[in-house]
Amino acid sequence: MPSDPLWYKDAVIYELHVRGFYDADGNGTGEFRGLTLKLDYLADLGVSAIWLLPFYPSPLRDDGYDISDYTNIHPAYGALDDFKMFLEEAHRRGLRVITELVLNHTSDQHPWFQEARSSRNNARRDWYVWSDLIERYKKARIIFTDTELSNWAWDPVSKSHYWHRFFSHQPDLNYDNPAVFEAVWGVMKFWLDLGVDGLRLDAVPYLVEREGTACENLPETHEVLKRLRRRVDEHFSEKMLLAEANQWPKDVRQYFGVGDECHMAFHFPLMPRMFMAIKLEDRKPIVDILRNTPEIPDVCQWGIFLRNHDELTLEMVTDEERDYMYDEFAPEKRAQLNLGIRRRLAPLMEGDRRRIELMNGLLMSMPGSPILYYGDEIGMGDNIYLGDRNGVRTPMQWSGGWNAGFSSADPEQLYSPIISNPVYGYQAINVESQRRYDHSLLSWMKRLIRLRKSTRVFGRGTMEILTPQNHRVLAYLRELGSERILMVCNLSSQAQAAELDLRRWKGSVPIEMFGSNLFPPIGDLPYLLTLGPYQFYWFRLRRL
Amino acid sequence: MKEVVLKSLDKTLGKFYDMLLQFLPHLLAMLIIVAAGWLIAIVLKMIARRLMALARVNKLSEGSGITQILRKADLPAPLDLMTQLVFWIVWIGFILLGVDALDIPELQMQISRLFLYLPQIFVALLVLFVGLLAANFFSRATLLAAVNANLPSARIISGFVRFVIILLTIAMALEQLALAQRTVLITFSIAFGAIMLGLAIAFGIGGRNVAQKALENLFPQSESKKEEQKEKAEEIPPL
Amino acid sequence: MAEISTVSEDFLRQLTAVGEVGILVGVPTFNNRDTIERVVSAIQVGLTKYFHRERCVLINPDGGSTDGTPEIFKNVSVQDFGMLLTASPLRTFHRVTAPYHGIPGKERALRSLFTAADLLRAKACAIFPPDSLSITPEWVDSLIRPVYREGFDLVSPAYQRRKFDGLLVRGLVSPMIGALYGRRLHEPVGSELGLSGRLACQFLQKDIWEQEMTTFGLEIWMATTAIVDDFRLCESFLGPKIQAAKQFGQDVAGTVRQVVGALFHCLDLHENFWKKREGSEALPLFGFQYNVALEPLRFNRRGILDTFRSHVEQLVPILESILTPQTLVEVRNVAQLADREFHYPDELWVRTIYEFAAAHHRAVINRNHLLQALPPLYRGWVSSFILENQKADAARVDQRIEALSREFERLKPYLVDRWDAGRGGER
Repeated sequence: MPSDPLWYKDAVIYELHVRGFYDADGNGTGEFRGLTLKLDYLADLGVSAIWLLPFYPSPLRDDGYDISDYTNIHPAYGALDDFKMFLEEAHRRGLRVITELVLNHTSDQHPWFQEARSSRNNARRDWYVWSDLIERYKKARIIFTDTELSNWAWDPVSKSHYWHRFFSHQPDLNYDNPAVFEAVWGVMKFWLDLGVDGLRLDAVPYLVEREGTACENLPETHEVLKRLRRRVDEHFSEKMLLAEANQWPKDVRQYFGVGDECHMAFHFPLMPRMFMAIKLEDRKPIVDILRNTPEIPDVCQWGIFLRNHDELTLEMVTDEERDYMYDEFAPEKRAQLNLGIRRRLAPLMEGDRRRIELMNGLLMSMPGSPILYYGDEIGMGDNIYLGDRNGVRTPMQWSGGWNAGFSSADPEQLYSPIISNPVYGYQAINVESQRRYDHSLLSWMKRLIRLRKSTRVFGRGTMEILTPQNHRVLAYLRELGSERILMVCNLSSQAQAAELDLRRWKGSVPIEMFGSNLFPPIGDLPYLLTLGPYQFYWFRLRRL
Repeated sequence: MKEVVLKSLDKTLGKFYDMLLQFLPHLLAMLIIVAAGWLIAIVLKMIARRLMALARVNKLSEGSGITQILRKADLPAPLDLMTQLVFWIVWIGFILLGVDALDIPELQMQISRLFLYLPQIFVALLVLFVGLLAANFFSRATLLAAVNANLPSARIISGFVRFVIILLTIAMALEQLALAQRTVLITFSIAFGAIMLGLAIAFGIGGRNVAQKALENLFPQSESKKEEQKEKAEEIPPL
Repeated sequence: MAEISTVSEDFLRQLTAVGEVGILVGVPTFNNRDTIERVVSAIQVGLTKYFHRERCVLINPDGGSTDGTPEIFKNVSVQDFGMLLTASPLRTFHRVTAPYHGIPGKERALRSLFTAADLLRAKACAIFPPDSLSITPEWVDSLIRPVYREGFDLVSPAYQRRKFDGLLVRGLVSPMIGALYGRRLHEPVGSELGLSGRLACQFLQKDIWEQEMTTFGLEIWMATTAIVDDFRLCESFLGPKIQAAKQFGQDVAGTVRQVVGALFHCLDLHENFWKKREGSEALPLFGFQYNVALEPLRFNRRGILDTFRSHVEQLVPILESILTPQTLVEVRNVAQLADREFHYPDELWVRTIYEFAAAHHRAVINRNHLLQALPPLYRGWVSSFILENQKADAARVDQRIEALSREFERLKPYLVDRWDAGRGGER
């Protein structure tokens, strides 16, 4: 694998769950051995990193985000050796691996918590946050309003309350205790020593609590992260920390520090606005949010995505925008969950290939490293009749055969039913059939990813938004050194014309990147482009 | 004596009889010509009307604005005007032809002179006609304008305008007939003066507001007086 | 289809960039720098508040202002929606200025607005005068919602009027349209208007645009044409009407001439329609009707009455050719009544108007002259109306107007009778 300390800036990340990717031993659940077998597929797709959802031993009451042993593998997914093998094979193919690090809380089944609650005098008592009164930290909001009434939970064993920001079975670790910090560092070091390339830090805004504050984004929390980062830099190179903080860009910006905190952070507000823009047929939402996105240090990068394992979150939008999104994308109540929409990309785009392509084209050309959610590269559907977010976590559809080629188990034995409706079902949508054709979505995605990776402009370049009078057309210029790429896209369902003011690049010739065709050179007049419904162009501007 | 008288009477009678015999056919011919002319004129008038209707003269003239101009001068629509003209020209022509058929040299001479003089008469009549219409129109316009502008003695002004225009018209008609050319000159001078006066009055009315404003600016009114004016409008806003 | 040639290239370019819209709002201007800012921000707030999901465009046809009105129009921006609303617009808010050359006039402005509505396939349009002082964001909703959501084609405004305000409209134009066209439209001359894109296209196809229409004529023409072509009409209550009244100065005569002239012209155009029509119906009225205490109008009652008396006598020679001998005699008798007994009966007023309308149709004298002879008589009726209702409240005045409307309806056969009577004979 070529060495590059800034590898994450050019990465295309593929997000998947071991459970749902491939089941090699035929027990109905995917495991690391199965995943290892499918690494060739991922290498062929062209992605450069794999982000694994939690795979640790866990009572699985929150999809593995409630960890009961940080340094092991859940038996259903194999053994630690299987993971090592997977890691080695991935690296051999040039694929980096990012894993989850849930550092805010543990499962209440974790030995640490079991010890802490055993008595008030236990040495680990102080590893968690305890209180006799529930009046402390009153200003902190409750996140899972549907299930939790308070951030304090009663522990009948030690007859005291413990602090939890998420579910009551997920007690928060006490970062004011240096021992906790050392223990968490031990966990990080364990995985990084194994060869993991990046860690996604879950729920980072909530690490430290202080009286009289909302207990989010506190300076002390940033201090903890900075110290972790220093440790990482002292012991390793080419490792990456990715912060999950569902906040407005100006708040997320702090998690980059001055390049001394996290390497990457998700850009949450951009995602719903891309969906909104294509529905409104107006570039305003995207332009607005990009204009309100602060600059970040050179060594840092945004993580951008269209869909992931959670619902399409609508926390970072106004009330009107949320209502609009619900009405347009989730008119049936069943598709809504918490403050979001639990659907995959293809059904959200009504299966329209042109819109799916446009959304992916946008994702791949926006500033940041794109994250693909498994199955979206073939346009997989969802099942909103499954509870919680399980509808978007169904088994990967490999072929039209038995269990979609995912497993040889009895269909009833699968951890989740396979999508089987006539439109998105595995007989219609699967890797095998799409691999055969040059013009399938999968083949197109491969080309798109290849183009994205053909230049560093997308990952590292500056972005300048152009403002053609036609507001249905979004155009921006990415620039790095002497390399310039112009992206023009039609957000509307009808053909559009746009006149771009490109006089600054007079004399350059636009070369359409997918087909390498020359377009007329740029002159003094506004550059006229016509675009079909949902069409987009990537132009390399070449000075001759 | 008696015989002489009888003889000459007889001779005269015979002569008269001869002349009558000679003249009667001419008269008859004339009557026939005039009557036939009348018929032909009517027929021609009808044909002309039909032809012009076919050519959509009314539409054309409306499009070109002729109708509007004529209406503003209170003249009939162009189609009526032209058919009437056709009728009268044709019939007058026939009448003259008929007179000619009487074969009276003096009359023939007069007629040929008349023919030479005809255009002038015709133009004079036209001038008179248009002038009378214009007098009517302008006097009415003046009356309405004056009344609506709240000028005192609006009817006198409008009467004056009518008088001046008629005077001018008559003078112009006479000029056409080449009669009393000096009168024309004098009348014209008088009329010109009157028009200038009219214009002065008109400008006076039109510029009243401007003048008022200028004066107000020169001599600012006291605040209270202005207030009062503002409060009590002359009229009710109609809209 | 709209004639593209009536639209400048620059305007077309701006429209192309806007693309298809749901709602088009037009504000024709000519030197309105003092009021335009308020109007534009009210509209923008209204659109954001009530139609934040729709595609909206605000168009400003400008008749060549020299005081920078179009620049102000372009630069007005509602900085902080948070202070005014909880909403902020979802979409790009478009603003287009379209200067046209030549004589500033409503027909040019409206024509370009309707052309834009046609080209942009607008579902609903609204037109606001640039000088309204009482405009609120709610007006946007009042005028557009009936079209956009309820499927109406023309939304005519309804105002709260001061007691004797707008008597020409209330005592002549509105009841006459009600009686003849069968729709009781209260403000056929109101300059705020909502209309459907469908209706805008229909208007464009009429050959009215090359003709000379007066300032107030277009509103009357639009309303009556919509009735004749069987479009759906309704009214929407806007509250009190207060206007920067510079154009309605004291020129009662001029206004009467223009408004009534336009109405008579429409009667000519729609002769075949209204002659067959019987009865009348009220229009659906949208909006909550509230009342604000308005300062009463003050005016010179004596002056109006005296003017009427003297003018009638002076105009007798002209009135002779317009009115029937009997009506003329009655009018002259009214003029001679003493102040206390002064009374211009409704029946006579209606007959006067109908005879004027018929005479106008037959063009017994120059039509312009004919219309100029009407203002003095209008003053007579106004004097009588004021005298009679001096102590009445606004509701009572409305009842009186209702009674007058019924009189207009009752005498309609008389108008039909006079319309073609003695054609040519009185020439």
